[in-house]
Amino acid sequence: MSLLSVDHLSIGYQTKNGMLKAVDNIHFDLEKGQSLGFVGESGCGKTTIGMALMGLLPENAVILDGHIRFQGDDLISLTETQWQTVRGAKIAMIFQAAMNALNPVMPVDEQIKEAIITHQPDISKTDLADRMKELFDLVDIPARRMKDYPHEYSGGMKQRAIIAMALACDPALIIADEPTTALDVIVQDQILREIKKVQEATRTGLVFISHDIAVVASVCERICVMYAGQIVETGTRKEVFKSPRHPYTRTLLNSYLSLDNLNDIRVPDMKESPDQTVDTDECRFAGSCAYARGCAGRSPDWIDISPTHKAFCCNPDVIRRGHGKS
Amino acid sequence: MEKADSKSRILVEMKQVTKAYASRKKLFTRSSPQVLALNSIDLSIAKGEVFGLVGQSGSGKTTTGRLLVKLESPTAGEIFFNKTPISQLKGPGLKTYRSRVQMIFQDPYQSLNPHLSIAETVLEPLIVQKIGTPDTRTEKVVHTLDTVGLSPGEAFFNRYPHQLSGGQRQRVAIARAIVLEPQFIVADEPTSMLDATIAIQLFQLLEQIKETFGMTFLFITHNLAAARYMCDRIAVIHDGHIVEVNTADNIIRHPEHPYTKQLIKVQPGFKYTR
Repeated sequence: MSLLSVDHLSIGYQTKNGMLKAVDNIHFDLEKGQSLGFVGESGCGKTTIGMALMGLLPENAVILDGHIRFQGDDLISLTETQWQTVRGAKIAMIFQAAMNALNPVMPVDEQIKEAIITHQPDISKTDLADRMKELFDLVDIPARRMKDYPHEYSGGMKQRAIIAMALACDPALIIADEPTTALDVIVQDQILREIKKVQEATRTGLVFISHDIAVVASVCERICVMYAGQIVETGTRKEVFKSPRHPYTRTLLNSYLSLDNLNDIRVPDMKESPDQTVDTDECRFAGSCAYARGCAGRSPDWIDISPTHKAFCCNPDVIRRGHGKS
Repeated sequence: MEKADSKSRILVEMKQVTKAYASRKKLFTRSSPQVLALNSIDLSIAKGEVFGLVGQSGSGKTTTGRLLVKLESPTAGEIFFNKTPISQLKGPGLKTYRSRVQMIFQDPYQSLNPHLSIAETVLEPLIVQKIGTPDTRTEKVVHTLDTVGLSPGEAFFNRYPHQLSGGQRQRVAIARAIVLEPQFIVADEPTSMLDATIAIQLFQLLEQIKETFGMTFLFITHNLAAARYMCDRIAVIHDGHIVEVNTADNIIRHPEHPYTKQLIKVQPGFKYTR
């Protein structure tokens, strides 16, 4: 049994222009101790997936179809009271804005203790103190800084405290939504190492969401590339980054500036993203696709490249003909 | 570095510029402790050059940008623009300076006034500087919007910032900066809020603008890869000091200062997959 298994999941938002399908027929599995990265640009639905896994979808969101099974239970049918025993205890989240995710008028250790006591009301004082020390050790914050207020922490330390809070109840699954976006490169590097180290040490499942492909590449073993609510390519880190197949993945990699790919940079001709209130089976990326040949009116299909690597496209020739970062 | 300077004319020069901010005054102490955001920095930017300023948050890179557009004044030292010191500029002189030096801010969600339409936003600098007649101004705005890739310009006239995507908003901010055809533009992390595919298109746009108008740019960023892509020369700033200046290629290939080496090491890339 997988730790997490998401099956044909579709989520829509009720808007004044009709139902906007933010997540469209998504499936993936995650085993214990594995890490899975979701990458795509803003509005592609990656945060909606994270929120659905935490049971924190906003009120105008509707789960249109599908199942989310976590340790065998269907999360979609949980009531809010049932969610409270799952959220924080079994599934925890590392939020994006570390600056705002901590309560400014409460010492950091109190906030983390609160999370533990909520789920384990009977914990003894010594056990709690031991657990706190263990957590701060794990995220490399010196114990003497435990009682500080959030404003006394640097940005990186706040993000570490958030990680400690997510780990407080020893969850089986952690969802990290853009955990380093607000940080500069040096601190980002430290936090990514921290997340990786902690995830490997605790054998927690990790769903990592980011718009930054290089960040996802540094943390996750498997990657899902998303475009306009759909997963368009999935594979191991090596497969996706060394041999990207879907035209959107290629576009993304070709436009990403890093120190070792400057000569391969190509400026894409991206059209506006498609209107997701229109329900269609047609390829969403066709309008901006450099490889589109007679794709209009056709529905894309999953094309296997290896047992772990596949892409969602109308055009098997384009997908099978891998030439690295084309 | 000397080579580049002696060959071409220097447009902007900072000489031993220091900027100190007073931190919060403690009770019963006479002098308030100071935080040195910039510690005696020297910098010269040649005409037509794209100059990169790279550093982590708190290094003083944004302070440098704000000093250059005279949103703030240095505590010590002098900034020269076309060999003229700018510290004494007041009234009409300052107004002229503002028409020659413009800034593009980091966050397109905050740098545009939500109450002004796109036309009003781009028109405002022309009105303030009393350039042209109402008819020629409108024409200029349409033309500028076309230049930044918001075409047809008329279609964006009556739209408001909230109706645009992040990339389009940043294009409006660029239009507002170039409508006066300034000589020098300070771009402070113009793409850090945007996705890679959008960012690369904006870089291309800034390059086109540079080619068309021959503008000089100070490009402030924490992303060394972006700086290398955009810039002729790069200065690395750390704790208010400029630790290294070199051509973009040399700074990446042959970094000398340990801090530059560290920055290169932590730069996200696909090294993990190789």
